[in-house]
Amino acid sequence: MERGGRDVSSTRQQTPQKDEERLFGSVLLLNGKAMGLGLGLVLGLGVFIVTNWLVLKGGNPIGTHLALLSQFFIGYRVSFLGSIVGFAYGFALGTLSGALISWIYNKIVWYRN
Amino acid sequence: MGGHRFFTKNNEIKGLWQEALGDSLLTVSRLSRIHYKGRFFNYPLSFLNALSNLGLSESLLILLSYLKSRGNPHPEEKTFEQWVSNRFGKRLYETFFKTYTEKVWGIPCNSLGAEWAAQRIKGLSLLVAVSNALLNLQKPKSLINEFNYPLNGPGMMWEAFQETIRAKGGQILFNTEVTGIFHENRRISHVEYALRNSRKRVPVSHVISSMPITKLVTALDPKPPESVLEAARQLRHRSFIMVGLIVDNKALFPDQWIYIHSPDVKVGRIQNFKNWSSAMVPDPCKTSVGMEYFCDEGDELWRLTDEDLVAIASGELSRLGFCDTGDVSDGFVIRQPMAYPVYDEGYQERLMAVRAGLEEFENLQTIGRNGMHRYNNMDHSMLSGILAAQNTLGATRDLWEINEEERYLEEDTAERTPFLESLFSRAFARMDKLAFATALGSVCGLAIFLATLWLIAKGGDVVGPNMSLLSQYFFGYSVTVKGACIGFGYSFAWGFLFGWLFAYIRNLFLALSIYQIKKRAEKLSIQDFLDGF
Repeated sequence: MERGGRDVSSTRQQTPQKDEERLFGSVLLLNGKAMGLGLGLVLGLGVFIVTNWLVLKGGNPIGTHLALLSQFFIGYRVSFLGSIVGFAYGFALGTLSGALISWIYNKIVWYRN
Repeated sequence: MGGHRFFTKNNEIKGLWQEALGDSLLTVSRLSRIHYKGRFFNYPLSFLNALSNLGLSESLLILLSYLKSRGNPHPEEKTFEQWVSNRFGKRLYETFFKTYTEKVWGIPCNSLGAEWAAQRIKGLSLLVAVSNALLNLQKPKSLINEFNYPLNGPGMMWEAFQETIRAKGGQILFNTEVTGIFHENRRISHVEYALRNSRKRVPVSHVISSMPITKLVTALDPKPPESVLEAARQLRHRSFIMVGLIVDNKALFPDQWIYIHSPDVKVGRIQNFKNWSSAMVPDPCKTSVGMEYFCDEGDELWRLTDEDLVAIASGELSRLGFCDTGDVSDGFVIRQPMAYPVYDEGYQERLMAVRAGLEEFENLQTIGRNGMHRYNNMDHSMLSGILAAQNTLGATRDLWEINEEERYLEEDTAERTPFLESLFSRAFARMDKLAFATALGSVCGLAIFLATLWLIAKGGDVVGPNMSLLSQYFFGYSVTVKGACIGFGYSFAWGFLFGWLFAYIRNLFLALSIYQIKKRAEKLSIQDFLDGF
C-alpha cells in the first residue's frame, strides 16, 4: 500500500515544533492511484494464482467452489484462460476498492482536521 | 599535540589529507580501553567484558541501580549526571563517567552543567537519528575501528602544507604573537605582531583567526563594547599538560591510548605513540608514552616544574602497573593552555555576545576549536578554514553552520536534511484510525450490498444459494433487498473493526520503531562521550 502523506496540521499551525511533533504531527493521506493500483494488483494476482493452483492440482471437477466467482465475474472459469479473466476482474475490483477507500479516508481526514 | 585520529566523512578533507600525506597515511586498527581498578574495560563498554571485570556482586548492584533509574528516574535532566544516571543507572555512571569527566573539566559532575549536558544531548535530533538509522549512517566515532594516521605523526601534514604554501609564494611566521588587531569602518585594517622583541604592523585585506576567541576580542583596537569584552572574559578554557616519558620497555600495552578512570591518580589519559605509528619510536626496545593531565592555566599542577611533573607522571605510570619507576629513562613536558573550550552554564549566551561583536567586521572570520569556542574535531576545524578561505574569494558560507554533531551525518545527507525531513514526516505520518476504519467498513459493506443485489437481479429458481451461506455468520442475512441492507451493516462493522485495528497497529509499530531509534541514538551519543576530549 503506497502512502502519500501530507502534513495537514502544519498547514494550520506554523509554530516551531519539536522533532516528535514534526514527525508525528502530520496525518497520513492516502494516494488514491497508488492505493488502487496496489490493491488491484494484489486482488488480481490473488485470483490468478489461486485459479492456476487449482488447475495445476487437477482433479474432476476442478475448483467447484472457486468457480462460483463466475456469478460475479462473468466469463470466469477455473482454467488458465479463466485465471486471466479473473485477474482482470480482480484487478478492476481491487483498483476500484482501493481508490474508493482512499477517497473516503481522505475526505474524513480533511473533515476532521 | 597528542594523538589525533585522522577520520572524516568529508571527502574534501579526506582528499586533502591524502594529497598532503600520500603513502605516509597509515591505516591503524583502533584499540583504546578504560583502565579502572587495575583492569581494562572495553570501550565502548561491552556487557560480558564489564561483567567479568567488575565481578558478579558489583555487576548485580549496577543492574539494580539501572533498574531503579528506569523505574524512578530523575524528574528532570538538567545535568550530565542526571542524564547519564537516568539511562545507565547511578552506579554505572559513578564507575565509568564521573571520575573521568571531573578530571577533564575540574568541575563536579552534578554542577557540570546543565548547559554542557544539554549541548551533548542537543545534537540528538530525532530527525537526524531516524535518517541515520534508516540510511544506515548511525555509527559513532567510538565504534569506528579503523582510522588513518601519518607515519611520523600529525606534524607531517602541517609540514607538507607549509612546503606547499611556501612553494606558492606564501609566507609563514612562527613564534609570532598577534598583539593588536586594528579596525576602522567595520573592517580590520592592520594586524600587529611581535617577533623577536620587535613589533610590526601590516595592512590586511582579510583576517582568518584561529586564536582563542577570547584573546581575539581583547586584541581589537579600538576595544569592542564592554559587554562583548565581559562576555569574552567569562568564556572558560581548560588547559592540558602532556608529560612525555621514554620507557625502557618494549611494550607497555597494546592500545593507542587508554582512559584512566581511577581517582587515585591525576593522569586522565595515556597515549602510547608507538601504537599509533611504530615509526614514531625508532628504538624498538623503548616505548614513548604521553601522560595527559587536564588542568586550569595557573593552577597548582600547571605551576609545577617540569622535573616535578615528570616525577609525578613516572610514579603514576608505575602505580598503575604499566612499568617500574626505574624504567623511565627520560621525560619532557608540554603545556597547552586553552586546550578545551568549556561548555559551562551560560556559555552560549556569552559566545553569542562575542560573535555578535565580531560579526561587525566584514573581513574577519574565526575558525577552528578555539577560534569558534566550539568542540570541532580536526576535520571540522580544517573545513572551517577551507570555507573561510573560500569566503575571502567571494563565497558566502556560514562557518558556524559546521556543526560538531555533523559527525553523525554524511555531508550530502546534511544538505538533504530538509528533503529528508519532508520525506520522513510523510513516511511517519500517523494514520487516522477512525477515517481508515470508516473507509474500509464502507467499501466492505458496499461490496456485500452490491453483490447481493447483483444476485437478486440475476434471479433464478433459488437466488444466491451460496451467498446466503453468509447467514451462518451474519444472522438475519438473506439474498434479498432487506438482506442486502443487513449484509451491508454486518460487513461495515467487520470492515470498520479490521480497519481500526490495522491503523492502530500500524501507528503503534511506527511509534515503537521511532522510540527504539531515539533510544539507540541516545546510547550511541553517550558511547562517544570519552572520545569528545
